Amino acid sequence: MSEKSTRRKFIDRSARIAGFVGIGATAGVLARRVSGDHVYQVDPFKCTACDKCRTSCVLSFSAVKAVNDFEKCGYCMLCPAYFDVTSFPDEKGIPSGKVCPQDALKRRVVGKEDPDDPNNNYYEYVIDEERCDGCGKCVKACKPPAGNGSLRLEIRYARCVECNECAIKVACPDQAIIRVKTPGMAPTESPDETKVL
Amino acid sequence: MEPPGKNADTYTVRDRFRKSWLPIAAAVGAFAGFVSAAFQLRPDAKPVSGGAPRAAEPFAPQQSSGQPTLDYELQYSKSVVIGPPGSAHQFQRSLLGVAVGPKDEIYVLGEDEIKVFDSGGGFLRSWKVLQGAYCFTVTADGRVYVGALGKIEIYNRVGIWSGGFPAGEADKPAAITALKIFRNEVLAADADARYIRRFDQNGRQLGVIGIRNNTGNFMLPNRWLDFDIDSNGLVTATDTGRHLVTAWALDGSPVSSFGKFGMTDPAHFVGCCNPVNLALTPDGKVVTAEKMVARVKVYEPGGRLMAVIGPENFDPACTHIYLAVDSTGRILAADPVRRTITGFSQANKVGRSQPLTSEASPMDSQKREEFNIL
Repeated sequence: MSEKSTRRKFIDRSARIAGFVGIGATAGVLARRVSGDHVYQVDPFKCTACDKCRTSCVLSFSAVKAVNDFEKCGYCMLCPAYFDVTSFPDEKGIPSGKVCPQDALKRRVVGKEDPDDPNNNYYEYVIDEERCDGCGKCVKACKPPAGNGSLRLEIRYARCVECNECAIKVACPDQAIIRVKTPGMAPTESPDETKVL
Repeated sequence: MEPPGKNADTYTVRDRFRKSWLPIAAAVGAFAGFVSAAFQLRPDAKPVSGGAPRAAEPFAPQQSSGQPTLDYELQYSKSVVIGPPGSAHQFQRSLLGVAVGPKDEIYVLGEDEIKVFDSGGGFLRSWKVLQGAYCFTVTADGRVYVGALGKIEIYNRVGIWSGGFPAGEADKPAAITALKIFRNEVLAADADARYIRRFDQNGRQLGVIGIRNNTGNFMLPNRWLDFDIDSNGLVTATDTGRHLVTAWALDGSPVSSFGKFGMTDPAHFVGCCNPVNLALTPDGKVVTAEKMVARVKVYEPGGRLMAVIGPENFDPACTHIYLAVDSTGRILAADPVRRTITGFSQANKVGRSQPLTSEASPMDSQKREEFNIL
């Protein structure tokens, strides 16, 4: 004998269905976030290297690191991001001070070295991520017109813990923390950037 | 009366502590603040923090010698400004070069066209050129050579296309950043190959200038090579990574060079890679333009600094200041950020033994005010 459906039962079932749908939708949203479809990243065209990345990350040693775009890098002998060009020069005319307080920017000669004339070599600059704390001093020093703008800050996913609300994003005064698709490389060209040599 | 719940002894101790230490702490704080302020106000105060010693006032145009900024052998003042905001012929999007043509007409490349002005800045004519042009030059008879990636195109005096040829190799086109004409030769600076290519009028390559030593050719971290050529065929070129101005014979043999990195002496070149742009005056002086500290300087051919047109005249974000010099020695400097061309004429000549001082006559004071724009 079939049981007659009452209004109370109908409301009860409807509420249950609505509850399950809600739970499912929430789980879907969370699963999508966990799957890493979109991740946080630094937009180098908004970033002013204000030092908030170093101080605001929930990690004690920030997940934001400087990276060097070798396509843009000038391989300068006197890199303004490596040398503090305002410090007194040594006997060879090379500034005595360095920009990076952690000594995380490493300099090495590219190709055959001319030991007699440092001006006669090209130099490669690489970041030691174990030392870099994301302060952005090198990034700021490399910005045009002083440098070519090859250094930029990036969130490194091996370190990032993917907070629901990135603490750096909250603190960033330039709204430079954006959501990008995996793998989350920072954009290398501004959409309105004029292509020059 | 004691506050409720407080132990009488504890309260007395705290009270004593407040009474005894607060005034002392306040006094110590005030004294420290006073000492700190006094120390900062002292002009000869040394930095308290550690780190490398710093050069005093690194971007000051002329402080190292203790002389005022006006004490240069040559003085320049603004004589014409082309394309300021609001003017009829302002450059809306781009400004990529300036050159001087016949009758000292001013030719400007910007927004994919050549605009021609008379020597006073009055607009004469304009025409479209190839897209992506980076540089150009004008011959004595008014022909215009325009350089772009991998090609050079030629326009006659009224802007009609009259020829052109490819530059560089098929798989490695020349990144032309400067062009000059010497007799029947076309000289093109190739910032990719890092040397200057010599072509005949048909585009056949005759040779190159600038090949030497370990790093090969010119060292160009900023990927820009500029040069000029005098009436004898002596090529003067920038070598930005080495902070040098170099002179070369047409056959490619090096002749001389001058320049040095330095952040305090105005005779030196600042930053990673300077000077960025260069031009020669009719009497052989070398005019250079720098980035980082956007300024224009005039040197004797041997490298002695004669004049500085200071950074207050240019946008600090300039990575280039394009240069040209007319037959009177007037320097035309194109600021691509403000998108204006400014003419700087030589104002007078001041001997180094006659520094301008505060005891100068009223007439001198007026001149000084005029020169303060420099």
